[in-house]
Amino acid sequence: MAANQPHIALEGKGLSLGYFHNKTKKEILHDLNFQLFKGELTCLLGPNGVGKSTLIKAILGQVKPWSGEIFLENQPIQSFGVDELARSISVVLTDPVFPGNMTVGQLVALGRTPHTGWMGKLNAQDLEIVEKALSDTKITNLKDDRLSEISDGQRQKAMIARALAQDGQLIILDEPTAHLDLVNRFEVMHLLQDIAHQQRRSVLVVTHDLDIAVETADRFWLMNCGIPLTAGRPEDLIISGEIDQLLPGKKYRFSVERGKIEAIGHNLKSWKIEGDSPLAFWVEKALIKAGIGSLLEPIFVEKEPFSILYNQMNFNSLSAFIHFLKSELK
Amino acid sequence: MNPKRYLFPIGLLILALSFLLNLGLGSVMIPFGEIVSGLFSGEWAKSSWEQIILNYRLPKALVAIFAGIGLSLSGLQMQTFFRNPLAGPFVLGISSGAGLGVAILILAGSAFGFALSGINSWAIAVAGVLGAGLVLSGVSLVAWRVKDSMTLLIVGLMFGSAVSAVISILSYFSGADALKLFTVWSMGSLGALGWSQVGILGILILLGSIPILGSIKSYNALLLGEAYAKSMGIQTGKMRWIMIGSTGILAGGITAFCGPVAFVGIAVPHLARIVWKSSDHRVLFPGSALIGAILLLLCDAAGQLPGIASTLPINAVTSLVGAPIVIGLILKRNFSRDF
Repeated sequence: MAANQPHIALEGKGLSLGYFHNKTKKEILHDLNFQLFKGELTCLLGPNGVGKSTLIKAILGQVKPWSGEIFLENQPIQSFGVDELARSISVVLTDPVFPGNMTVGQLVALGRTPHTGWMGKLNAQDLEIVEKALSDTKITNLKDDRLSEISDGQRQKAMIARALAQDGQLIILDEPTAHLDLVNRFEVMHLLQDIAHQQRRSVLVVTHDLDIAVETADRFWLMNCGIPLTAGRPEDLIISGEIDQLLPGKKYRFSVERGKIEAIGHNLKSWKIEGDSPLAFWVEKALIKAGIGSLLEPIFVEKEPFSILYNQMNFNSLSAFIHFLKSELK
Repeated sequence: MNPKRYLFPIGLLILALSFLLNLGLGSVMIPFGEIVSGLFSGEWAKSSWEQIILNYRLPKALVAIFAGIGLSLSGLQMQTFFRNPLAGPFVLGISSGAGLGVAILILAGSAFGFALSGINSWAIAVAGVLGAGLVLSGVSLVAWRVKDSMTLLIVGLMFGSAVSAVISILSYFSGADALKLFTVWSMGSLGALGWSQVGILGILILLGSIPILGSIKSYNALLLGEAYAKSMGIQTGKMRWIMIGSTGILAGGITAFCGPVAFVGIAVPHLARIVWKSSDHRVLFPGSALIGAILLLLCDAAGQLPGIASTLPINAVTSLVGAPIVIGLILKRNFSRDF
């Protein structure tokens, strides 16, 4: 059985973290336990201010835990030197600091810093790793472009390529998709999934993008105030309902059927929709959003061409239908 | 091939020409051919030319080169370390510190009545180095306690302001002679140094440049900010002391010997970034040194008004040249984009 156990790349045991403010001790994280596995994309989710960034700083060795310990490959993280740690863990941080004169190639080459000599000169092997990082992130064509001339999404990929070139077994990314549009968010997260699976690295991503995280992550870490860290496969957490931790209060819940967050209480089905079921789904969604209460007559949905038959009237768009319902309700 | 490869040879050629121009210009015009043959063969057409070149203009040109190199290297280090395009030797209070030392020597001497007669350029230089060292130690003590660079930058500016206030108070109470002496010092001068002082300045520049050689890689990593640099294994705490030490020796030494020389430290690193279109410090350090030396040689030459025996103060010339450069940079280019 032991051979089938996943390889633990990083482990936290009984970790307490916090800071001193005006001589008062403020504990942010209490008795935290976690395991990060090799070859997996792990997403860390939780509300703002719950201590995600503090946890990352502790993993990077920049904040000393008050109690408990972090183990990297079963060695306490304090036993690693600054250089050793840099060769094992690389990061992509939230704050964008980009020297505009630097080219993408030079940025990625900076990732080799912990491996090169005092002048930072790259040898053949370093150059090969830089090339590979560029091609793995599919930005080889941008190599000579300056950072000021490329888009936010391309820049984020360049930062990921830099982290890859640093060649750590562990890559930590703090909200890598925060400034990106929808397509780039998917691209970046799928890229990280590929990196974790194909190169057998551990990738830890702090994100608020639940939809995309559900799609791509192998494992979730859920953090919330006052509750121990919950870890597990996203699907397990959804089925068990533990994912609702992310949604405090009784207003919202994670819909197991739809795979996304929904408002509770508005979807009391007080109407009857018949016809093509994918279309019926969107009709219902529109009715919920518009705040339409109960309807006495059944609704018939036609697919081609799209039309709605209600109370012997025909509507060719949802907007016309809802407009009618609202004016009738008045 | 890559046109950038020719930039350094071209720069060295321009440096040689500026050097020659600097030697040739002055109240007495000396033909360039005579200078070259005189320097290489040791035989001069007129003995007065030999006197002028060897005892006055050659040390002055060397000081211009040393000061240009030293100020540019300190400016580049500070701009990268603080991630701030407006950082320079004046910012950490180094130049004001040197000013304070000199002010105490000259002005307080007059105010409290100890004699002016003992003041020579050596005493001024020592006072300058001590003053720069004093303010630098103060800033360093704070630097030891504060964690981030922006705070250190503000602390440096505040130290500078406080020091200026002390100088104002000293000026208010001091006599006319002392005030004039201090004012002349504060205008900056490259020409007041003898060969032994030039030698010491050269040694200081060498001493201040050695730590840079070992930290080029760290400065490149620091371009991404302190957090990334740390994650790449750079000891940013140690780098802070290297930066403070190196800029203190370079800028402090130069200000002590030559008086304040404005704008070179801020403007030259930006010029190097524009010329080489790079942010790699393996290029920027030698590039800034080269441009700094050329710029200060030319500024000094420009201060030599033809036909008039006196020269314009170097601090005024560099300010007149440097201020438009910095304004132009701000107006024409997006500072943060090219930084």
